[in-house]
Amino acid sequence: MKAPRKTDLVLATLILTGLAAVVFLAHWTDSHPRQVPSQSSEEELYLKGATAKRMSLAFNGIAADWYWMRSLQYVGRKVVSYGDTHEGRFELDDLGALDLRLLPSLLRVATTLDPQFMAPYEYGAMILPTFDHNEAIALLQYGIEQNPTAWRLYQHLGYIYWQNGEYSKASETYGAGAKLPGAPKWMAEMSARTAAEGGSRGAAREMYQHLFDEAKDEQVKQMFERRLMQLDSFDERDRIRRALADYASRYRRCAGSWRDVTAQLQVLQLRLEAITLAPVDPSGTPYVLAKQGCDVDLNPRSLIPYK
Amino acid sequence: MYIRSVFGPIRTIARNTFREAVRDRVLYNLVLFALLLIGGAIFLGELSGGQEAKIIVDLGLSATLLFGVFIAIFVGVGLVYKEIERRTLYAILSKPVGRGQFLAGKYLGLCLTLLVNVLIMGIGVSLALAYVERGWKPIVLQIWPALVLIYLELTVITGVALLFSSFSTPAVSALLTFLVFIIGHLSADLKSFAASLGGATARWFFSGLYYLLPNLSHYSFITAAAHGYVPSFGALLLALLYAAVYVTVLLSASTLIFSQRNFK
Repeated sequence: MKAPRKTDLVLATLILTGLAAVVFLAHWTDSHPRQVPSQSSEEELYLKGATAKRMSLAFNGIAADWYWMRSLQYVGRKVVSYGDTHEGRFELDDLGALDLRLLPSLLRVATTLDPQFMAPYEYGAMILPTFDHNEAIALLQYGIEQNPTAWRLYQHLGYIYWQNGEYSKASETYGAGAKLPGAPKWMAEMSARTAAEGGSRGAAREMYQHLFDEAKDEQVKQMFERRLMQLDSFDERDRIRRALADYASRYRRCAGSWRDVTAQLQVLQLRLEAITLAPVDPSGTPYVLAKQGCDVDLNPRSLIPYK
Repeated sequence: MYIRSVFGPIRTIARNTFREAVRDRVLYNLVLFALLLIGGAIFLGELSGGQEAKIIVDLGLSATLLFGVFIAIFVGVGLVYKEIERRTLYAILSKPVGRGQFLAGKYLGLCLTLLVNVLIMGIGVSLALAYVERGWKPIVLQIWPALVLIYLELTVITGVALLFSSFSTPAVSALLTFLVFIIGHLSADLKSFAASLGGATARWFFSGLYYLLPNLSHYSFITAAAHGYVPSFGALLLALLYAAVYVTVLLSASTLIFSQRNFK
């Protein structure tokens, strides 16, 4: 066997020392992260949808997928960082607090690259209204323009108008969607109901029920389930308030505890907790007495959305 | 007898070109493709928010096109050049083989390689789809017309590569073919650009480019296939006819140029 040459030894030493230095530098860099100003990480996208489409040649589908996944990652990262600063608790209803300013652009590029890609429209219809109604409406209108026979897009656009209190527009949109081939009968019923009852609980219940039935994403389904529970809870709290008012008018004082109104609550067929006899909300959390026993409120631990 | 004397040498050259491509490990890209698809099928489910099937189709068909274009360009530009470099061309042409037959054989051999490539990749995409969709859903078969269009596009690109390689070096030929691939997918922009121009000469020039360069947007059906759309039979036939005519023109031009070359 040949003895190693001096230069081989030098090179081997150089490689090993170099590798050790690289590991050390990587470790040091990790422990000293660069402070990136928040504006630069939230800068507008370099490419507009039309330019991206032109540049993607025959690969616009995969480019749209990439922008779609980027949208999901963007929201996901925001949710994680929100959870870090809010004791890990995040509900879909908190989306408005996430500062998702880049999301409309990401969804717009994804849909420009692939106008038949439904997922970004549906995702945008759920999330964008929490912080920008106009962007949500623009996205859905573009979707309808590109897919005039997709009745689900009319359903989502109607929901956005309804959330914004624009009941006549919501009714018109549902009506237009109802005329499309394959649209379910309830689209026409929703149109009539939204026009007649606007933001009533009945209309809301029907709206959420259909959205719940149609949703494929588990998280979105959960969000609508909570909205339905919220409506049930509104009804329950109305009944509890009546029982508390009866008690107050009879005894000229508000209830000191739930035990004072147990009989009335039982008559109202409300579910009561076994030990405290407090009525429980649809998520299974007991309600709490508010305003020195004159009113009822949601327990802060409850899963029911407050607003 | 006449048919055998014309097509016999073409078939032999095509078969040898295919064998050579296999020996050159051209089909090794299939391993990379398989890994890409398996990785995509497993991991994309987590990232895509329930859009696994669409992403598998987009990823699979885009990779089929991209790998195919690379093979068509990098193998295509060397088809003639390698034979000249190795001086095997002299041995071939000393036999009763015309230059046109030689080019046609080389072209068909590479097309056969690409066909095998596209077929295997298509089966891979179908299997990946069956896996993510948990069964044989319509989308598993709906991607095949798009694969036919991809293959037709590759036959045109191979023809372009062969044309450039008949008079230029491999590096320049590869660059020019890649440019044609890019321009071919920007045809619609070329047309609208020509229409927007004020001067008649410029308008004629860009309109001419639009009609003369291959319009590869006819073959872009990947995104639509991901939504389960299938091109009409008429559209497929038209695409086939366009490719056949264009390839005939390319091969004729290549033969014309190649027959003028002096190899002494």
